[in-house]
Amino acid sequence: MISVRHLDVSFGNVRAVSDVSFTVAAGDIFGLVGESGCGKSTLLRVLSGLNPHWTGSIEIAGRAIGPMRDKAFYRQVQMVFQDPFGSLHPRHTVDRTLAEPIAIHGLDNAEARIARALDDVGLGPRFRFRYPHQLSGGQRQRVAIARALILEPSILLLDEPTSALDVSIQAEVLNLLARLRTARDLTLILVSHNLAVVAHLCNRLAVMQGGAIVEEMTVDALRHGEPSHPYSRELLRASLGYHRAAGTS
Amino acid sequence: MSRAAILRAWLVADTPTSRRQARLGRLYLQWLSFRGNWLAVAGLAVSLVLIIVAIAAPLLATHDPAAQNLDIRLRPPDAAHWFGTDELGRDIYSRIVYGTRITLGMVVAVVILVAPFGLVVGCAAGYIGGWFDRIVMRFTDIFMAFPRLILALAFVAALGPGIENGVIAIALTAWPAYARLSRAETLAIRNSDFIAAVRLQGASTGRLIFGHVAPLCLSSVIARVTLDMSGIILTAAGLGFLGLGATPPSPEWGAMISTGRRFILEQWWVATMPGIAIFVASLGFNLLGDGLRDVLDPKQT
Amino acid sequence: MAQPPLLSVRNLCVRFDTPRGIVEAVRGIDFDVGRERLGIVGESGSGKSVTGRATLRLLPASATVTADRLALGDLDLLGADAAALRSVRGRRVSMIMQDPKFSLNPVMTVGRQIAEAYRMHHRVGRSEARRRALDMLADVRIRDPEHVYDLYPHEVSGGMGQRVMIAMMLIPEPDLLIADEPTSALDVTVSMQVLAILDDLVTRRGMGLLFISHDLNLVASFCDRVLVMYGGQIMETLPASALHQATHPYTRGLLAALPTIDTAGRDLPVLTRDPAWLATRR
Repeated sequence: MISVRHLDVSFGNVRAVSDVSFTVAAGDIFGLVGESGCGKSTLLRVLSGLNPHWTGSIEIAGRAIGPMRDKAFYRQVQMVFQDPFGSLHPRHTVDRTLAEPIAIHGLDNAEARIARALDDVGLGPRFRFRYPHQLSGGQRQRVAIARALILEPSILLLDEPTSALDVSIQAEVLNLLARLRTARDLTLILVSHNLAVVAHLCNRLAVMQGGAIVEEMTVDALRHGEPSHPYSRELLRASLGYHRAAGTS
Repeated sequence: MSRAAILRAWLVADTPTSRRQARLGRLYLQWLSFRGNWLAVAGLAVSLVLIIVAIAAPLLATHDPAAQNLDIRLRPPDAAHWFGTDELGRDIYSRIVYGTRITLGMVVAVVILVAPFGLVVGCAAGYIGGWFDRIVMRFTDIFMAFPRLILALAFVAALGPGIENGVIAIALTAWPAYARLSRAETLAIRNSDFIAAVRLQGASTGRLIFGHVAPLCLSSVIARVTLDMSGIILTAAGLGFLGLGATPPSPEWGAMISTGRRFILEQWWVATMPGIAIFVASLGFNLLGDGLRDVLDPKQT
Repeated sequence: MAQPPLLSVRNLCVRFDTPRGIVEAVRGIDFDVGRERLGIVGESGSGKSVTGRATLRLLPASATVTADRLALGDLDLLGADAAALRSVRGRRVSMIMQDPKFSLNPVMTVGRQIAEAYRMHHRVGRSEARRRALDMLADVRIRDPEHVYDLYPHEVSGGMGQRVMIAMMLIPEPDLLIADEPTSALDVTVSMQVLAILDDLVTRRGMGLLFISHDLNLVASFCDRVLVMYGGQIMETLPASALHQATHPYTRGLLAALPTIDTAGRDLPVLTRDPAWLATRR
């Protein structure tokens, strides 16, 4: 479904992503784990089309894509952002936010599509005419997911979709994403610094450090054996809580 | 429940059921926060009174503003002439009432010329960036480098005195401020996720600027325009005072002060009454602008 | 507890007067902090941060703080005037915030800020303060203190900034340190190092630590005792080692909602909030 070969991204003299290659099969949930500045978000922005400055090759559904994307691409690939407070227009109601993609692509049945999108993310019609400031963080993130899905994409890119949320809300959003993936037959790429979240939701993952993928494995392999790369091991240990030895290294 | 209470509950409802209710509810909450600032409410009252006076000038005036009567020249305020008469025996009250039309007319003309232009130019420059941004910003630098009144003087001196030329001169120096303001706002929001999200839906640049960026800049431009109105009133009056704005015999406040200045010691009311009018009008818009800025600040929810 | 507590709080309430009405952020909580690591966990809006700030009287004017007792040792913090509070802050209680970027003065070198913090509470000369600051930087495991002393806040990384912050807060040698999400802006590997430094300093100096966090695993593994807060009230208090055996349904719900490698492929249990949790008010 998605195939990335020898991807390089530079900002000035700084190489944010260097020689990254991976493939994601249709229906996969692929996780990218790493700490801030490791290039995982940059990689996602390249895939989504937000960052046009890259070299290498990207294929989506068998079609090579360049830095500039057409409308058909955006109907196929959508993205959910990290910060639920920053990803919704503060002056637009939920209704307006969801109507925008429909208007851009000239789709019919706007009313029914909006109602269905809200139902799908568990919000219902009560929330339709609220402004973002009348919603909680979890509700905003649901709206953002509804906005991404209203164009019925086959690929959903998730940039730390739950890291700004409380644990209990995170569980709800993770459940929602898992359910939507099955119902809509989506291919997901999840970027997160939280190994536990990635391990929970994904079936394959790649660990990134300094702009490169240091290790790629299935979640089953992660569960059954220690990861081979020392950095992956460190991330795994840190995800379990404070560890005296980890700090002294 | 009384009708007012029902209406209020409908406006502040947590779950609006229609677009209109959502929008009106938002306006109502803004009004509530505006109402809490009594200075702003006073400013709003003054501005509304000015607008009403301008519209209803023929009804409110007690005399013909241009009618001369040399027998009663320079009379102090009394029952017949509330603000006294000037050196040609014209009723100062009626002249000030009609002068409201000229002043507000100039203000409205400048704002209509300047605000939309500055907003669009600034948003486009900020959003598109690159060489377009650089060129536009250097243009604003050029126009901002001119002192407003001096440029207006030069302009009027070249094209001849008159309200229209005064308006054009003020407009030429006023637009860069709006362009810069909208550009700064745009720069702050262009990299936000909600703009990125709309880009990822395939929205065109025009749609982004007009549908998503400009509306967010609009509120600060409105607040700034209202604040600027007092400055425009003062510049217009200044041009009138120097004999470069409205030409006699039109009852422009600045021109009235200018003629009244010869009698300022013996017949104080001739210059003082239009002076008070200028003061009240510019203060009113200033207070209103301050209040609007607080209410419309996009950084608040 | 044999020793008297460092900080003693009884029936603390904090209310905020907002345009939309009065918000009760903290509703009648009791706790003591001794020479231990006491964790406060809770979700956003649980009142945990407000509690930390209320003990230092660092809340905005719209907040009303009431308590039957809010005492630091023998000093009544509620009745203390501004001068008394100033001498207490830093000298006896310090606070570390979430993001060092907003807590350091951008136009002063980090070393001078640490030295100034020391001189504010100790009558010593510049060179003595400088020496102390360098020692302190070494204590927070900064390898080249002389070099870091002369850096400005924007020149240091997030992890180093947080260490500088800790150095600044600990140099007046307070009895109690309040840390509000001190590592949540940091990467996991860096935060482990910062925590180890805090751990060391607290143990060595015998300070009390009030550690405020949303991260249950972190609090369970780092602290001695844990308060679980929800809706401005304390749901339960328990030894950190026993957090995973918690009995309160809220704590259990939070723990169950945590994704782990073993929950893969399953739905996470969703927390259902019971109004009865907040009903038991004194």
